[in-house]
Amino acid sequence: MKLALALLAALAVQLGLTASHVWWVLAACQPILLVVVGSARRFDPVGVAWTGLAAGIATDVIGERIIGPGGIAGAAAGAAVALVVRRFEMEGPLYWIVGSLLAAACSEAVWLMTVVTLGAKPDHAFVGAFATVAMTGAAGLLVAASERAINAWKSPERRRRRVLRRL
Amino acid sequence: MIRVRLRPDITIILVCAGLYVGSAAQVRTPAGTTALSLAATTLATPALTVANAAGEAWEDFRAGRRNLEATLAELGHLREESAALRRTNQLLAAEVAELRQGSALLAAYPSLADHAVLARVVARDVLRTHTLRLDRGSADGVRPDSAVLAEAGLLGRVDRVLEHSSRVQLLSHPAAAAAATVPGVGSEGLLVGGDSPHITGLPPYTKIAPDAHVLSTGSEGIYPPGMLFGTALEARTEGLFTVVPVQLAANPTDVTVVLVLAPITKAAP
Repeated sequence: MKLALALLAALAVQLGLTASHVWWVLAACQPILLVVVGSARRFDPVGVAWTGLAAGIATDVIGERIIGPGGIAGAAAGAAVALVVRRFEMEGPLYWIVGSLLAAACSEAVWLMTVVTLGAKPDHAFVGAFATVAMTGAAGLLVAASERAINAWKSPERRRRRVLRRL
Repeated sequence: MIRVRLRPDITIILVCAGLYVGSAAQVRTPAGTTALSLAATTLATPALTVANAAGEAWEDFRAGRRNLEATLAELGHLREESAALRRTNQLLAAEVAELRQGSALLAAYPSLADHAVLARVVARDVLRTHTLRLDRGSADGVRPDSAVLAEAGLLGRVDRVLEHSSRVQLLSHPAAAAAATVPGVGSEGLLVGGDSPHITGLPPYTKIAPDAHVLSTGSEGIYPPGMLFGTALEARTEGLFTVVPVQLAANPTDVTVVLVLAPITKAAP
């Protein structure tokens, strides 16, 4: 349920970033991939691949593209992220940064390859792919920073320090 | 009943393959408005509306801040400009005042104008050293012991000359001295400077009318004869001489332009 809500929220954000009054560079960002990255903590690689598949299909539907290549790319990206995160036991900010960069890069590469093999003309090429990787990576960095800040705020050490200060 | 249990990893591969086939079919099918695309557009509208409202608010905020910064910068710029204009105005006003004073000076002494140098006072110390600094020097024809004249009367003499500047020893200088006379009084006295300039050397009990003009005689070889030093105050006899306090005519604190006269050429003995 949580995952579904997160996917919906990310999808809404992804749509919102394409709004005309928002800085145009942000439209390249794919927050939905961050949900896929986040799911790598809870699911095994196949589960993450399913999440990626759902996210990719949703992206395809919302983007009014051919439905399918995005799903395939999302599934591949999710599997790759899950495998890498497990293999290198990533945690903390590195998990989010590497995960988001890898997810975006993998997703874009697989999507491009899929579309090209289908004989269709991709709606973006390397510049768009690069922008997607960069902006999704930046979003990952933001999530990592936020997570760190929240953890620091909720940490028992901070609570102890506050208690000691009151004494 | 046959139950088919698919492994998730194989299932996802199969789904992906199906998607690929479906995609290929879509590529080969002419695109048109489908119920799915319509649904997607409808679902996207609220998110886009919210995002546009947020973006618009942000743009407004940014524009407002930029305008504030621009306004503050403009205000600072205008303040600087105003200060510069005020300074220029002051300088121009001073320039005009000097020109007026110089013009009045030349008009007051038309006969001296040809042999005199008009100089601007660039510095003054009328309390400590009793000197003025002029912007003309030897390069302009200023020589030591040249008499310095203001519109109201004599100021002093040039005591130091550089190439492009000179120093004036005022009559109020304690070491200043000049031969002076009062019209109607036959004898000549010595005007000495100091805090209270006075004429000394006059015969005792000499009668001096109050406010009588004190004029130069030129005997000391510096000041041309007949020039005004000031006005006489109440005379008194001290010992062998009559002492006449003098109110100097030219006020060095107000003078901005002076006339430096050519030194008097001493006749050969």
